[in-house]
Amino acid sequence: MMKKRTLLSMALVATMALATFTGCGGSREGASSTEPAADTTATTDDAASDDAATTGEYPGFEEGATIGVSLPWLGTQNWKEAEEMFTAQLEEAGYNPIVQAADQKVTQQQQQIESMIENGAKVIVVGPVDGSQLGSVLEQAKEAGVYVIGYDRLLENTSGVDGVVQFGSVKTGELQAQALLQGLEDLKGDAPYNIELFGGGPADPNAPNFFKGAMSVLQPKIDDGTLVVVSGQTDFTQCATVDWDNAKAQSRMDSLISGFYSDKEIDGVLSPNDGIARAIITSCENAGQDIPVVSGLDAENESVEWVWSGRQYSTVAKPTSDLVAKTIEIIDSLQAGNGMPSTDVKVDNGVIDVLVYELPPVVVTKDNAKEVFADDPSRLELLK
Amino acid sequence: MKQLKQVLGGDLRQYTMVLALALLILIFNVISGGRMLTSSNFQNLLSGNAYVLVLALGMLMVIVIGQIDLSVGSVAGFAGMVMALVAKNYNVPWWGAVLIALAIGILAGAWHGFFLSQLGIPGFITTLGGMMIFRGGVIWISHSISVPAPEQLKWFGAGYLPEWGPAFTGMNNSTLLLGIIGIVCFAVGQLRKYNSQKNNAVDATPLWAVVTRIALMTVLIGYFTYLFGSGRVGTSFPVPGLILLLLTIIYHIITQRTKFGRHVYAVGGNKAAAALSGVNVKRTYFLTMMNMSFLAAVAGILFVGRSTAAGPADGTSWEMDAIASVFIGGAAVSGGVGTILATIVGGMVMAVLNNGLMLMGVGADKTQVIKGFVLLAAVAFDVYNKKSGKSSIIGKLFPSSESKKAA
Repeated sequence: MMKKRTLLSMALVATMALATFTGCGGSREGASSTEPAADTTATTDDAASDDAATTGEYPGFEEGATIGVSLPWLGTQNWKEAEEMFTAQLEEAGYNPIVQAADQKVTQQQQQIESMIENGAKVIVVGPVDGSQLGSVLEQAKEAGVYVIGYDRLLENTSGVDGVVQFGSVKTGELQAQALLQGLEDLKGDAPYNIELFGGGPADPNAPNFFKGAMSVLQPKIDDGTLVVVSGQTDFTQCATVDWDNAKAQSRMDSLISGFYSDKEIDGVLSPNDGIARAIITSCENAGQDIPVVSGLDAENESVEWVWSGRQYSTVAKPTSDLVAKTIEIIDSLQAGNGMPSTDVKVDNGVIDVLVYELPPVVVTKDNAKEVFADDPSRLELLK
Repeated sequence: MKQLKQVLGGDLRQYTMVLALALLILIFNVISGGRMLTSSNFQNLLSGNAYVLVLALGMLMVIVIGQIDLSVGSVAGFAGMVMALVAKNYNVPWWGAVLIALAIGILAGAWHGFFLSQLGIPGFITTLGGMMIFRGGVIWISHSISVPAPEQLKWFGAGYLPEWGPAFTGMNNSTLLLGIIGIVCFAVGQLRKYNSQKNNAVDATPLWAVVTRIALMTVLIGYFTYLFGSGRVGTSFPVPGLILLLLTIIYHIITQRTKFGRHVYAVGGNKAAAALSGVNVKRTYFLTMMNMSFLAAVAGILFVGRSTAAGPADGTSWEMDAIASVFIGGAAVSGGVGTILATIVGGMVMAVLNNGLMLMGVGADKTQVIKGFVLLAAVAFDVYNKKSGKSSIIGKLFPSSESKKAA
C-alpha cells in the first residue's frame, strides 16, 4: 500500500534536489523533502511544479515516446489532413502517436486528453473544440509533466499550455478582405458595391480575429461609401455562423437575399471559410442572383475547383502541412531537451501569456493557383 | 451454490449487470495493459461522467412516471451560462451564482411541470419546447461566446478532498475516512436488518451469510478506497464523485423509502389506479419534472466547473446519454419500473465503455457505433427475458418492492 506513495515521494525528493542544484530551491516546504513516505503535502507538489515553470525548464524525454494529438473533429478536409499527416509523420520521426478526434464534443475531448495522459504521452497536441473549456484537464496534464501545444486555435483560460502553433488569424482576415476588394474591382465594375459579411463559429477564438482583421480593411471602405452593407449587419455577433455550420450560413444568406436584395444585385460577400463560401454561392444561385465575389479559407478541394472554374473568387490556403511540420519541429525540440523554440509573439489567454508561433497564410485566386499548389500534387490535380 | 445465494441475498441473476460491469472493467484493464484500474483513470472516470449520472438520477424518476425529458441538456447549459455570466458581469460571488443557477433549474422545472400536470400536455412535447427555448436562451444571452467561470467553481467539477492527518496511512485521509464510513454504514445496516429479521421471518438469512456479505463489501469498498486514495499526492476521491454519491444515496432513499417515492412508482405503473387510491397524480408529475430540471442545473454547474468556462454548446445531447443510462439500467419505456442504483450501474457501463475504448485509442466514430449496439443489446436482453415469462433481470438487479408491486 505504501509502495506507490514512497516511490512518488522519492521522485519528489529527486525533483526538489534537482531544483536546489539548479539554484532555484526557494521552495516553501524544503524540509519535507528529507522526510520519508507520505508527508509530502499538496503544497510541496505545487511548489515543485511552480519551480519548473518559473525557471522555464523543459527537461527532454526518451526517443520513441508517446505523443497525443487531440483534434476537434474530422468533418472538414483540413482536420482530416491533419489526422493523416500527424499519424504518418510522427511515426516516421520514431514516436508512438495517438491521434484522436472528439466529434465536436467538449466532454469527449476532455476525456480523450485524460486518457492520453493515462497512456503516458509526453506531449499532447490539442486542436480544441472550444479553446476556453479545457482548463482543468490541461492543468492536469501540466501537473503530470506533459507538454501541451495548441494547434490551429488558441488555448484560453488555463495555465496548462506551453505554446500554440497557428496561422496569424488577424492577418488571415486582412487577406480575405483584400482579396474581396480586389475581386470587386476586377469583376464588378465601378463602386459602390453591395456586400454582406459572414463570420465564423463564435466558440472558435480565431473567428472573431478573422472578422476583426477583415473589418480593419473593409471598415474604411464602408465609411467612404465604396462598400455598402445593405442589411446593415456589421457586428460580429450578427454575422457569426454558429459551429461554422454551412447549413446555418446558407439559411442566413437565403433570408438576406429575400429580405434585402429583391431589387438589388449583390456584388460581394466576405466569407470566413470555404464551406460557408460555397453555401453562400449556392444560395445566390438558387435565388437567381449573379454569383458575387466571395472570399474563403482553407483551400478545400471543392473550393479549389470552384476558384479554378471561377465560381468562387478566392480562398486562403493555410497549408496543413506547414502547421504539422512546425508542431513536429517543436516536439523534436522538446524531446531533445532544448525547450520551446523562441518566438516574438505572446498572447494573453486570460491566465498567462502564451508563446504563439504564427505562420503566414497565402491568398489563392485563379491567377496564382498553379504556383501556390506547385508542391501539392493532389490539389494540382484539381486544376485541370 | 445455496450458500452463495444466501450471501448475495437471493437470486444470483440479479447481479448480471454488476458482473457485466466488473467484467468490462477487468477486460479493458487487461487489453490496455493495466491502465484502466489506476487511481488517476478512475478519478477521471468519475469527474468526467458525474454530470451524466446526475442527470440520469432525475431521468430515472421521469421515465418511471412514464414521461421523458428532452430539455435537460439545454437547461443544464442555460443554468451554467447564467451562473458564469452573473459572476462575470455583475460581480455576484461564486456561491451566489451557484444558488442562482439552482434557482433557474427549479423554475425551468416548474415551467415544464406546469404544462405537464396542469394542462396535460405530454412531457415529450413540453420538454421539446423547453429544449428549444433554453438552447436558444443560452446562445442569446452568451452571444455564442464562451464565458470563463469563477475560479472557485473548479472545485465542484474537478476538485479533490483535502489532505490532512497522519502520513502513515499512505493515502489521502479524506478518502480513507469516506471508505471507513461506507463500510461501517453497510455493516450496521446489515446487522440491524439481521436483528429485525431474526425475530419474525421464517427464512431469515443466517448470521454467517450476513458476516460474509459484510466481509465481501468491506473488501470491495476497501479496494476502491485504496484505488482512489493512493493516487498522486493532492488527489483523492473526486469532489464531483462525492456529490454524485450523496445524490445517489438521497434519491435512493427518496424513491424506495418515502411516500413520494411510492407515488412515483404508483403513477408510472397505473395512473388511473393510483389516482383512485388517493395519489395526487398532478403533484407527483409536477414535482418529478421540477426535480429533473433542478438536477440538470446541478449537472451544468459540475460541467462548467470542470471546463472552467460555460460555452454556447454546453449540454448538447446530454439528455440522450442520460436516457441511455436509464434504459441500460433496466427501466421500462412504459413506466413504473426502474431503480436508482441500477441506473447508476447502467450509466457506469456506458462510462467505462467510453473510457476503455478511448484508452485503447478507438476513435469517436467507432465508439458511438459500439455504444449504440450495447444499448440495443441491453434493452433487447431485458425485453426478451420479460417476454419469455421470466422476470426482468436488469430490473430486478436491485430488489425494489415498489417496482415489483407497480409492475
